[in-house]
Amino acid sequence: MGTSYIYKRDASRLFIALRENGKRYKIYIPKDSKPVINGIEKDIDFIEQEDFHYSFDWHGKRFHCELVSRDQNKAIIKVNGVEYRFSIESIFSYIRRGMINNLEKQLNDNNIIAPMPGKIVDIFLSEGDLVNEGEPILILEAMKMQNEITATCNGVIRKIRVQSGQSVMKDELLVDINSIDV
Amino acid sequence: MKKRILIANRGEIAIRIIRSAHKLGLLAVVFQSDKEPDALYLKYADEIIPAHDLLLDKPIFLDMERILSLAVEHQIDMIHPGYGFLSENPDFAALCEAHQINFIGPSPQLIRDMGLKTVAKSMAIKTGLPLVPGSDGPVPDAATAKVFADKIGYPVILKASAGGGGRGMRIVEKPETIERNFKSASDEALAAFGNGDMFVEKYLQNPKHLEFQILGDKYGNVIHLGERECSLQRKHQKILEEAPSASVTPEMRQQMGEMAVRFAKSIGYYSAGTIEYIMDEDGSYFFMEMNTRIQVEHPVTEIITGVDLVDWQIRVALNEKLTLKQEDIKINGWAIECRVNTEDPQNRFSPQTGFIDKIHFPVGDNIRIETGVQSGSIVTPYFDSMIAKIIVHGDNRSDVIEKTLKALYEFSLIGLKTTVPFCRTVLQHPDFVNATYTTRWVGHVYKPEMLENEEDELIAALTATIMYASEYLQLSSDVPTYKNDTLNVWVLNKRLNY
Repeated sequence: MGTSYIYKRDASRLFIALRENGKRYKIYIPKDSKPVINGIEKDIDFIEQEDFHYSFDWHGKRFHCELVSRDQNKAIIKVNGVEYRFSIESIFSYIRRGMINNLEKQLNDNNIIAPMPGKIVDIFLSEGDLVNEGEPILILEAMKMQNEITATCNGVIRKIRVQSGQSVMKDELLVDINSIDV
Repeated sequence: MKKRILIANRGEIAIRIIRSAHKLGLLAVVFQSDKEPDALYLKYADEIIPAHDLLLDKPIFLDMERILSLAVEHQIDMIHPGYGFLSENPDFAALCEAHQINFIGPSPQLIRDMGLKTVAKSMAIKTGLPLVPGSDGPVPDAATAKVFADKIGYPVILKASAGGGGRGMRIVEKPETIERNFKSASDEALAAFGNGDMFVEKYLQNPKHLEFQILGDKYGNVIHLGERECSLQRKHQKILEEAPSASVTPEMRQQMGEMAVRFAKSIGYYSAGTIEYIMDEDGSYFFMEMNTRIQVEHPVTEIITGVDLVDWQIRVALNEKLTLKQEDIKINGWAIECRVNTEDPQNRFSPQTGFIDKIHFPVGDNIRIETGVQSGSIVTPYFDSMIAKIIVHGDNRSDVIEKTLKALYEFSLIGLKTTVPFCRTVLQHPDFVNATYTTRWVGHVYKPEMLENEEDELIAALTATIMYASEYLQLSSDVPTYKNDTLNVWVLNKRLNY
């Protein structure tokens, strides 16, 4: 279950890197596989790290990186001799900030509601988990049929409002999801 | 007994000269300046003279009296001045002569003459070298200036005879404005230099800088070794050079080279020297000046001709006859030199000083590295910011561009910013690839954003994130809401220092 999905549950490994020119990178650093940048797994190899220097290989090229300076969540990184400034945010603080900036409506459009009355038989995810678009969240049994309810976006599970074994009405709110696709 | 050669210089050129000295069986002596007591060149020398210049107002390399007294004390036979410092100071060359020390370079009189632009130009006219059209001297008033300007064509540049640093200088685009510009420039010059004399010259809007390498002996033999193009400059300093130049046809090369040789012969020149030309967009060229020293960019000429210029400087100084004939000089392929300066190309090329934590140079049969530093070296504010040169040889121009770019990607320096990213940008720019770049390129075309690319940006974002993440994940391990495995982010088998 879920192994073919890019995002692997742990939302604390997802970050937003924002450059001063407004360019934004959504960077997911899974535990055991290559980094996912803007939703695509990149074939970047980590070569070495020493103090504040990193080197990577990516499609046959070597990239030398150096931390030039660092202030809280802001960092200046030198790559192949050229400096880039980024500020980094966890996905949680990014979502929080998004909600403050009136993005809540847009975010809530991705909440999961029961398409029909029935009974929750299984829940696969927990609050705070990272979920992929199309990934099953729970199973709703209705008229002896088991229906997989899937995520409508890539996002973070904010709140699960139902429990396993609980009966639900049509249009009842099941799960709150904060989209990370915004 | 071996002859003793003193190198009155430092950095990469000191090491370069030591190499030639050893090849010719000489004993290489250098100064150890207190301003950089652990400099790399000291390791290559046979003998080191401590300069004790810590409390003096100038470094040893500029202090001719001290150089000479120490040279005499240490029984020095010859002095190589390198480039910069005292290399084109006629008084220094004369002082060497007065102490019976062989100065490696032309005679003091030649250095003096070539150092005075007006003298050099009048000597050049005699041998028929073309000069930038102009008034060839001060003009009395705006009306006379206009007569000249109308004759040579606009735009023209008005220059104060006593000028310098851009003051008393005006570019005039059209006849209607010459009077006003003449007056303001002349007033400015009068206020700044106490002399309001002005002359008029044709203004070349997009010139190229070309120079011919000359080699002569003390017996009247002079040859040229083709040209170098040094149009890529910032703040009037060269930063990337190539040889030959794509803007010079074989016929032009022959013509310009012969002219250079004729000029050098007419003034009795010996040693290595350079005749500088400025070339207009239409291909017309004009004599600018002659340099009487070995130049920073000499390796590109050495690579394509196979002639060791520093060897020959020393051999000529030792009264050897030039055994090379003009017809022996063949141009083999193409060469590019990239200067590695510790300057920030993202911030107006401001100089960077401090530690070189780690430096790695590209390696290859077609790559020549001249460096004055190694990992752990310190770049001080006392000397030039050029720490190394990367010189690459290719079969032809496009081949050498490709090979140089590859070499620059293999270069890395941790600790300071350098001009290497700038050189990479230049090598990929259509103006360079098409060889249409001019001395105005940096001022008119170059923007720091051109140094950036999307791949590097993405890697920078990733690096910043990994650094932040390694800290963040550990901090948040106290927060019960989210699962937290031990810090084992992808990278991270390698272990972060947090």
